[in-house]
Amino acid sequence: MERRPDVRFLAPRTAAARLSRRAVLAGFGVVGLGALSACGRTTKMAASPAVDGELESKLNLYTWGDYDNPELIDAFRNQNDVLVQVDAYGSNEELIAKLATSRGTSGYDVVVPTGSNIPQMLEHKLLQELDLELIPNFTHMDPNFTHQYFDPENRYSICKAWGTTGYVYNTTKISREMTSWQDFIDAAQDEAAGTTSLLEDPWEVSAIALASLGYSLNTEDEEELEEARSIILEQVAPNTKAYIGNVATGMIQGSFTLLQAFNGDARQGMSEVADPENWKFVFPTPTANLWMDNWTIATGAPHPDAAHAFINHMISPDTAIEQLDYIGYPIGIKGLQEQAQQADLSLPELIFPTQEVLDRLEASKKTPADQIRTDIFADAQARSGA
Amino acid sequence: MRTQTTPGDSPATTGNASAERGSKADRGSRSDRFATRVFGPAAMSFPTWAYILFFFIAPVALVVFYSFGYKPDEFTAVATDQLTLERYPEAMSGAFVSTFFATLRISVLGTILCLLIALPFAYWLAIKVSPARRSLALALVMVPFWTNFLVRTLGWQIMLSPDGFLSNWMQGLGLLDAPLDILYTRTAVQIGVVYNYLPLMILPLFVAIDASGHKLREASYDLGAGKVTTFLKVTLPMALPGVVSGCLLVFIPLNGDYVTATVLGGASGSMIGQLIANQFNTAQNWALGAAMAMILILATLAVVGIGFALLWLGQRIAGRLNSVQLTDGRV
Amino acid sequence: MAKKNTFARRTPTDIGLHVWGIIVFIYLFLPIAVIIAYSFNNGKVLANFQDFGLDAYISGINNDVIISSVVTSLQAAVGTAVVATIFGTLGGVALARARKGAWWALGLTVLLGLTLVTPEIVDGISFLPWFVTVGVDWGVTPLNNGLVRLIVSHAMFSMAIVTFIVRARLAGIDTRLEDAAADLGATPWNRFKDIILPIAAPGIFAGALMSFTVSLDNTILSSFVQQPGYTPWPVYIFAAVRVALRPEVAAISTLMFLLTLLALAFVAFVLRRTGGSSTEIIKTMAR
Repeated sequence: MERRPDVRFLAPRTAAARLSRRAVLAGFGVVGLGALSACGRTTKMAASPAVDGELESKLNLYTWGDYDNPELIDAFRNQNDVLVQVDAYGSNEELIAKLATSRGTSGYDVVVPTGSNIPQMLEHKLLQELDLELIPNFTHMDPNFTHQYFDPENRYSICKAWGTTGYVYNTTKISREMTSWQDFIDAAQDEAAGTTSLLEDPWEVSAIALASLGYSLNTEDEEELEEARSIILEQVAPNTKAYIGNVATGMIQGSFTLLQAFNGDARQGMSEVADPENWKFVFPTPTANLWMDNWTIATGAPHPDAAHAFINHMISPDTAIEQLDYIGYPIGIKGLQEQAQQADLSLPELIFPTQEVLDRLEASKKTPADQIRTDIFADAQARSGA
Repeated sequence: MRTQTTPGDSPATTGNASAERGSKADRGSRSDRFATRVFGPAAMSFPTWAYILFFFIAPVALVVFYSFGYKPDEFTAVATDQLTLERYPEAMSGAFVSTFFATLRISVLGTILCLLIALPFAYWLAIKVSPARRSLALALVMVPFWTNFLVRTLGWQIMLSPDGFLSNWMQGLGLLDAPLDILYTRTAVQIGVVYNYLPLMILPLFVAIDASGHKLREASYDLGAGKVTTFLKVTLPMALPGVVSGCLLVFIPLNGDYVTATVLGGASGSMIGQLIANQFNTAQNWALGAAMAMILILATLAVVGIGFALLWLGQRIAGRLNSVQLTDGRV
Repeated sequence: MAKKNTFARRTPTDIGLHVWGIIVFIYLFLPIAVIIAYSFNNGKVLANFQDFGLDAYISGINNDVIISSVVTSLQAAVGTAVVATIFGTLGGVALARARKGAWWALGLTVLLGLTLVTPEIVDGISFLPWFVTVGVDWGVTPLNNGLVRLIVSHAMFSMAIVTFIVRARLAGIDTRLEDAAADLGATPWNRFKDIILPIAAPGIFAGALMSFTVSLDNTILSSFVQQPGYTPWPVYIFAAVRVALRPEVAAISTLMFLLTLLALAFVAFVLRRTGGSSTEIIKTMAR
């Protein structure tokens, strides 16, 4: 398919009059509704009350669906007499749109964005600084999951859960040893043609090809992305049966032999299927995503004291294993792997990759080239499942 | 203003009554005339107008405005300091057009299937089910839809799974010699969308057939018309507004939907709504997403327009045939 | 008694229609039956039936997040049904009685059509800033309530459906009925109350059912406008799909299903009484 180069990012950026999304909204009020807007509009974020050491009686948590062990939340409520209201979102963008458009009046205290979105959120002043003195359990965090590129000093965020991407395959259909993303692409065209599934995520899909080519997964180079596009569109997409968010479901249904998967979901799938011995998960070479969801406090949070206390409660080493067991992903504190072994958690090797694997992972970032990735993804979907 | 603009004088069928009522209203008191105006159709539509203007047009105008903007940098979803039409050709490039036609195929086929399933069903509901049970039956049509659509769709997913119980049973009974291979195919998508939109077809059809009244049908029988003739000449024409409503209510939202298709169709169910949602969500390019949405809206309206044109044409042809038959019959 | 009649006149077509009706009902209830069966799954993942038990019910009922989201959804759905039915009925009646080619009727039809054509995500993106502008900046405080936001946005979404159903219902009705009433001295209000409403009643009822249903299922729009403490049930489920649905979701769905059946039985009981009288009104008027 003939594609014109993506030149949107070269568009002149007149710094003078560039409007933020919020300013645009305010501007709309002026343009569209004339007189009414004369009575003073503000685009400032509403401020949060100061931390005063007194726990408020309420806490509003806005997080991914079903992402905390309800017993832990109950325990926090009972210990501190704080009413915790939990609301759910399904994507980071939903969260960001919510916080940005309500300009600090969303009412949410604790929110849980994925690390790659944090720079954007900080740019828009959607998050406020944490007071680590109020979160003494921070000292238990594993240094592998602190001081990340998106928040080098942990001034705004603390790891909530982390995971990586790989793939899982059915060894009765694919008998050879699989280790790399190139193996994934080969198998997709061979044994797993028509029974392959990819994640429903543009970044992850293009990462398959970028990794096999040896490029950075976060590349912004248009030529590299163009190469990745042709691999995805010509080799992978035509053999792809579905794009599914949670592979556990796909494995249970039994229609797939090769599935791109988040490690925790693959572990869940393997503990659910009737024939776990026939499935194998791979941390593929040369690299893959290291994603991290993070505890943060929203700008304008009405209950900052309770928010800090809650985060501290949720990263406590005493309850870490319960949280891990419920959500299926490690929460980034030291010694969790040993705890998991003691608790005899199934398949720990899937959620605790070796240090060697950890060292080669590359955390996903938001870049201007995300537009190209979205285009690749859309084209791939259009070409799949014929 | 003359009292001619009062409730009843709207349709052409009014005839004498209109004139008589006019004179009556002239004699009416001031408060009467006020009441007439308040209960007149134009005034009566005011609350709905106001609501839609304030809670639909005003906010959505903003997104229309976005479609003339651009995405300035990776951290900003849209900027509108420079207005441009460039997003529109950009939206039309890539997978948009082919995905649109794939979507159109799913939604047109889905609408037709809904109509074929719903027409006899609504007829049965309106005419063959005893009046005492009718509202109960009607409500029972809605009940499955009070279970969340994702849960329902998951029900289908479980049922259609190659390793699912249905597949296992059918293999056990010897009806199938390989696992059921429906999930993640177009068939699954069609089953799912027809399922999810069926009540939107059944309800207006039922309402219209019910409104056509038993008297007319009985009159038709009395005049010696057979069942088929009565159905074609009386019931169906009377149900036509319901057919039109139903098709619109199914086709239009179906064209913008994608969740059902993604869950059941996997890659085969890629629909246009998904592309748009991806621009707003994943790519954070609100300008492009807004432009795509505008194109989708216009294209959907165009398809609906074509549908109406065909309907009008069909009616004219049918009308001509009818009159020919009638004169034949008389002569 | 009605039964006897139909039995007496049963023809092959009638039998065919009855069979078809039953087949369609089976089709409609099939996935629900599956979900009910799977709600007794003691495993961790809904789709994978492990062993039979009531665990999902116990943990579902004890999960505050789930219960509060279900309550929010039901409240929003009832509110939406009320608001959308009032506005939609007025709109539908007005459209049905409009002069041919009246600008306001055409305009309203187009606008309502647009609400149906607009992808939900666009409504979502546009609604939230609008609520903040009106509710926070202009100080229309009721709009800052999460439930009000849900109801207002859902009602917008389903108003077109109510309007079109009511209009379709009234489309075939002879307007001379009203004219006759006017000649007999009935006031406009009485004509509306005693003629239009009874005739439109099935349409209004169907519209109310539809808007209730649409609200109960609305996900994308809700996820944008929701406020703390007002996550509706579908948004909860949609967000939970990322971590594979647990059987709790099926258990609570089953309970909701049973509850709605009970509510329906009650409504059916009430309607049978009022429905009877409204049929009488129509008959009297038609004579």
